[in-house]
Amino acid sequence: MKKNYHNSVGVGKYTGLVLISPFIAGFFIFILYPFVCSFVTGMTNYDNIHQPEFVGFENYINMFSDSDFINAVGVTLKYTLLFVPLKIIVSLFTALLLSLEIKGIGIFRTVFYIPSVLGANLAVVIMWQYLFTRNGLVNQFLEIIGISPVSWYGNPDCSIFIIILLRLWEFGSAMVIFLTALRDIPKEYYDAAKVDGCGKVKSFFLITLPLLKNVIFMNIVLQTISALQEFNAPYMITHGEPLNNTYTVGMLIYDEMFKYYNAGYANAVSWVLFMLTAIVVFIMFRITGRLKEEMQ
Amino acid sequence: MRKILISALCIIAVLYSCGKKDSSVTLPDGSLDKCTLRFSWWGGDDRHEATLKAIELWNSIHPDIEIKPEYGGWDGWSEKINTQISSGTEADIMQINYDWLVTLSPDGTGFYDLNKLDDFLDLSGFRDDVLSFGNVNGHLNAVAVSVSGRGLFYNSKVFERLGVEYPSTWDELVGLGKTFGEHGLYPLDLDIQSGGTAWYLAVVYVQQKTGNNFIDMNGNLGFSVENLQTALDFYKLLEDNHVIRNVRTRTDSDGNAALYQSPEFINGNIAGVLEWGSAVGKYESVLEEGVLEAGDFLKDDSGNSGGWFVKPSLLYAISANTKYPDESAEFIDFLLNNEECADILGTSRGIPASSYAEKRLESTGKIAGLVQENYEMLESMDTVTISPYMELARMKEFYNDAIEKVSYKLADTHEVAQELYNNINDYLESLK
Repeated sequence: MKKNYHNSVGVGKYTGLVLISPFIAGFFIFILYPFVCSFVTGMTNYDNIHQPEFVGFENYINMFSDSDFINAVGVTLKYTLLFVPLKIIVSLFTALLLSLEIKGIGIFRTVFYIPSVLGANLAVVIMWQYLFTRNGLVNQFLEIIGISPVSWYGNPDCSIFIIILLRLWEFGSAMVIFLTALRDIPKEYYDAAKVDGCGKVKSFFLITLPLLKNVIFMNIVLQTISALQEFNAPYMITHGEPLNNTYTVGMLIYDEMFKYYNAGYANAVSWVLFMLTAIVVFIMFRITGRLKEEMQ
Repeated sequence: MRKILISALCIIAVLYSCGKKDSSVTLPDGSLDKCTLRFSWWGGDDRHEATLKAIELWNSIHPDIEIKPEYGGWDGWSEKINTQISSGTEADIMQINYDWLVTLSPDGTGFYDLNKLDDFLDLSGFRDDVLSFGNVNGHLNAVAVSVSGRGLFYNSKVFERLGVEYPSTWDELVGLGKTFGEHGLYPLDLDIQSGGTAWYLAVVYVQQKTGNNFIDMNGNLGFSVENLQTALDFYKLLEDNHVIRNVRTRTDSDGNAALYQSPEFINGNIAGVLEWGSAVGKYESVLEEGVLEAGDFLKDDSGNSGGWFVKPSLLYAISANTKYPDESAEFIDFLLNNEECADILGTSRGIPASSYAEKRLESTGKIAGLVQENYEMLESMDTVTISPYMELARMKEFYNDAIEKVSYKLADTHEVAQELYNNINDYLESLK
């Protein structure tokens, strides 16, 4: 039997399609088209200037012998492994503090969110220089409390931490997600636990953490994706130095594309980064058993 | 749905593959038509202000040909121009860097051939050797605005306080490290950032010592592994003798700030800089007036001062895609040769290579100070024209990696020199 889509409010067969057409158009023009173009360009030797020639998977094969690429992948993975757990801990801890019902908490929440709005811009770069250079505020503070100054910028083992610290400082978005989830936990659970003699620490581990499980996982996935694509902070603060110890895959793509006129290779690397991100997220879903849940 | 998506992907791929630009060049028609032209350049505030005033003058003389300025600082500028050129949206007239001729126009067709525009562009005020800088494969792709070289400039106050003279030989420079070191100061600073002065000075030292040119104009490496090792050893000698800060100390002190923004330079803890004569103004302006002075170009003990580089500090080029080649040529002619324009621009792009503009500035007493001193010293020396291949971004990465490895003591200089030699040779070969 033929369906009749018309109803009293005038919704026709194609109304839905018309309504989502701006998105469909945007998706094709701004996402799908660049996505396919990027893949095609990655199979060429395009240099941004001349007609590209098809080279098949040569760019992908060359990556395995490119020491800069191998180093960049190592730096990116190291950065992600160090950064993501720290970010989750810091943002969750701050969210717990800001969920306390004290006077003027709204002001605190706003203040803590400000760094996320600032991002890695020029003013922040200058501030970081004042903080972390040899005579910067951080080293002055360390000297006051009797600790030797740290070579933040110059020591290859330390430089990655000033990038991590910048991104940790911008914990606002993750914190807001935690804060919203914390407010959704019914107070009655804590009251019941208190009656049963459960302390605050025990309540946290037995009530808060299990109920935040989904939100924590979502935050881990989001932070992992953003960490694997990191570009701004090392580009602005360390330029990938010293000894390329903060040179991420994002920086490599930028340099190959715009500095070295190697658009074919840059696009191939960006596809590898895409695949790497997809694999990492897939593994995370597998480990937590979420893939099965999603499939069901 | 899946079929539709796969079909869409295939269509996009085919369209994209067929859709690469195939631009055609607009021929000159010998007349000036009403139009709007875009002119892009990079530089500091002094250059921006002077150029904007020059554009005002142009607009008052040629009300039918409006010039729209596009300008900014150097950071990220070449990336921006590269993106514009690859998408065919570059300005009609561009200030370009010397090495862009290699990357953006290796066969000479990347920019408009200025030889075709002699109705409007008068190049009679330029020496042939200066014009040859912009010649690629028989096409005149660009005209040099000025010719410049990197020289040594010192903080006279610090030198006076310590009672030492400016060095005139390499040995004297190395000897300064002891005196300065006793006071916790440095007589000079060399960097491995965008300036890349560390490798530059080391190359000059070896060129003077051996008579070999680092890279020739055709992109052939003229240094042997031993020459490269000598350059790296010399750099290490400067670090070890407290003439310059090592990479780690420099990075710890300044982060990524340029030397002229560094408190170490502004406060006089660093008392010297190696800089282009056309760009030394930014160092001059952060110190008290008259404190920064030009030093000698260093020579060896036998008085040989060869090996120092000169290059066209900037060039003007016209986009190969411009619809208005005649009008663009007329504007470049105005910038290069017009006397009133020369008065306004002064030495904001160095001492003009056009004899008309240079004479005008000389007659009005506008060629003076550090720019003039640097220029006169270079004129009297046996200089080497820098190869555009030496300044390519990838090459700079090789030099900086090598310097960093030596400074951080990750390998001995012979090992690093061998790696550098292989990297440079492989890369130069790939460009041919």
